[in-house]
Amino acid sequence: MNLRAIGCNFRTAAVELREKLAFDAPKQEAAVKALAVGDGCEAVLLSTCNRVELYVSRPLGAAPFDLAAAATFLAGVHGVPADRVRPLLYEHADDHAVRHLSRVSASLDSLIVGEGQIAGQVKQAFELAQSLGTTGPLLNTLFPHALRVAKRVRTETGIAHGHISVSSVAVDYVRQVFDHFHDKTVLVIGAGKMARLTLKHLQELNPKRILVTNRSPAKAEEVAAGCGGTAVPWEQLDSALAEADIALSTTGANEPIMPRPRFERHVRPKRHGSTLVVLDIAVPRDFDPLIHDGDRVFVFNIDDLTRVREKTLGTRRKHVAPAEAIVDAEVKRFTDDWKRRKSGPVIKELFGEADRVRAEVLAPLMTKLNGKLTPQEREAIEIAFRQFQNKLLHGPIAALKDAAPHDAGEVTLLEAVRKLFNLRG
Amino acid sequence: MSDLLRHISTSCFGASYLLAFGCELARTRWPLPSLRWAALVLGGIGLFTHSVFLAVHHPSPAAAYGATLAVAWVLAVFYLYGSLHAPRRAWAVFVLPMVLGLVALAVFAVSPADKTVVLGDKLWAALHGVLVLLAAVGVSVGCIASVMYLIQSDRLRRKRPPLGRMNLLSLERLEAMNRRAVNAAFPLLTLGLLLGGVLLRQYHGLADNWLSLKVLGTVGLWGVFGVLLYLRYSATVSGRRLAWLTIGTFGLMLAVLLAAHPFANEPRAQASGAPTEGSP
Repeated sequence: MNLRAIGCNFRTAAVELREKLAFDAPKQEAAVKALAVGDGCEAVLLSTCNRVELYVSRPLGAAPFDLAAAATFLAGVHGVPADRVRPLLYEHADDHAVRHLSRVSASLDSLIVGEGQIAGQVKQAFELAQSLGTTGPLLNTLFPHALRVAKRVRTETGIAHGHISVSSVAVDYVRQVFDHFHDKTVLVIGAGKMARLTLKHLQELNPKRILVTNRSPAKAEEVAAGCGGTAVPWEQLDSALAEADIALSTTGANEPIMPRPRFERHVRPKRHGSTLVVLDIAVPRDFDPLIHDGDRVFVFNIDDLTRVREKTLGTRRKHVAPAEAIVDAEVKRFTDDWKRRKSGPVIKELFGEADRVRAEVLAPLMTKLNGKLTPQEREAIEIAFRQFQNKLLHGPIAALKDAAPHDAGEVTLLEAVRKLFNLRG
Repeated sequence: MSDLLRHISTSCFGASYLLAFGCELARTRWPLPSLRWAALVLGGIGLFTHSVFLAVHHPSPAAAYGATLAVAWVLAVFYLYGSLHAPRRAWAVFVLPMVLGLVALAVFAVSPADKTVVLGDKLWAALHGVLVLLAAVGVSVGCIASVMYLIQSDRLRRKRPPLGRMNLLSLERLEAMNRRAVNAAFPLLTLGLLLGGVLLRQYHGLADNWLSLKVLGTVGLWGVFGVLLYLRYSATVSGRRLAWLTIGTFGLMLAVLLAAHPFANEPRAQASGAPTEGSP
């Protein structure tokens, strides 16, 4: 194969430079088309917020696509000087390029290891290139293979297990307590930025209603209008909390707004044993942690959520080694299969040529001996010729098959066999 | 072929369930698709051989031996259904031990004398057996839901990561499962008991048998059920307490199920011409 993976990512380029080199959809379409047509190669362009990469395969024997060509191409598309782009780029060739794509797809090369978006982005980039006709035999085999590797890694290791963002972890906790949300009430206390993000996640659960309360009625109205909720006066916090199933608290208060005695006296008796989940993501905390009884009232504060996040990241790191082992095995399988695929047609051609020569030699001989041989003798001669042909070809074919999985001399051997046996290929 | 099927024993399906349980346990640590399929195949073999065993030997559901095997069979169906429909939930890790426990109880704890039961009129006796059996299934499902509830609740109480190795149902779902199972089991048990009482009076003489462990235990079980329902609907009791009470009810049910029937192999009933129920 003559494959190169060239690009930059969050490790080699600062975000300002990545932004300059990133492609939006129309630009990506034009660029990949220009690259494939102008260069006469197979090409896929992957552009995400953390990386821009070109996967280019040129015909065997042609000069490989290199760093300089990639830098010139990217510089030309984005109007950035090529000498500024070139130091940001890395290059992976052939087997290493296969390995790199597999690692990228499996999210082993991501900023947050195990994140789930990258496989979808790789798939999109490949599908775009495929729809534009810029892929060929190699990339059409390589990308689906890399996506299968990603799936294997996700299902066979715990690398993608759990959520990393605080708001996602908060919603995970809510889902461990409640099963359905069409009859649930969400109470939003305060109007911090973090609350809006978590509220967005909670809104996706389609709760029955959302109540919003704030010391400032105007802010409560604003948040309520943004999420289709109802503003509740701050003075009615206790009764609103008594009605709520999920409370999301993020005020900027210096003291807890819900100390335990207040909750036990004014809220718990009105709840009649129903379950409440409090997501307290305010700093300092809004709810007294002692309210958490682990049975009917669950309080998760920012420390709890961050601890889960760190634990999840730690667990994911433990799964990196098994995931890398899967990638290594799959890369070896792909490169071996690919090389066998390349030698397969030559072996077939060799057999065809030998059959043709055998028939050419055997036909006049049989005509000459016509009438002098019994059918059994004719058959014995034909079998002998076939055995001779097979024994003669055994050596070259075994050499081709043995050479296939290794790099060195592969192309030379294929070419030598073609020349020696006069194959047109 | 029928000879071959006749040779299927409790060890066949017991071993299959045990191996399936091993695979399911391993799956909580190594979530490999191959382990899931191995567990499903082994569980399927277990259920098939279990079904064949029940069909060939038809042990009486009114006797302890047949009842425990029948409850185990229904739970094995639940296990396979749950594993197929919710492969990511650790459903099997909780259901299979109960299936295995019931099979083990049937094999090791039931006295051979209690494998044959004389219950009087065959149709009514069968109905009594089926009603009590379905109630037992309800209590078993409630018990499984309660064990899962306690573990899930403990995880949340300790604020463990929400998506651990063992993926459990939400507390709300588990509570609903427990509630539905107990709600369905109570009327079934009540009807089964009433029918049993009538049969006892008609064929065996209630006065002679009402002090037996089985009858007293069953009445006690009915009482505990009543308390369970009262606590659920008329008092504010924590979910954990309800879960513990359901597990206790299941324990009592097992004791009642295993207690010798007061009229097992009773000569008087046989002499009176009452038909004999199942003799595996």
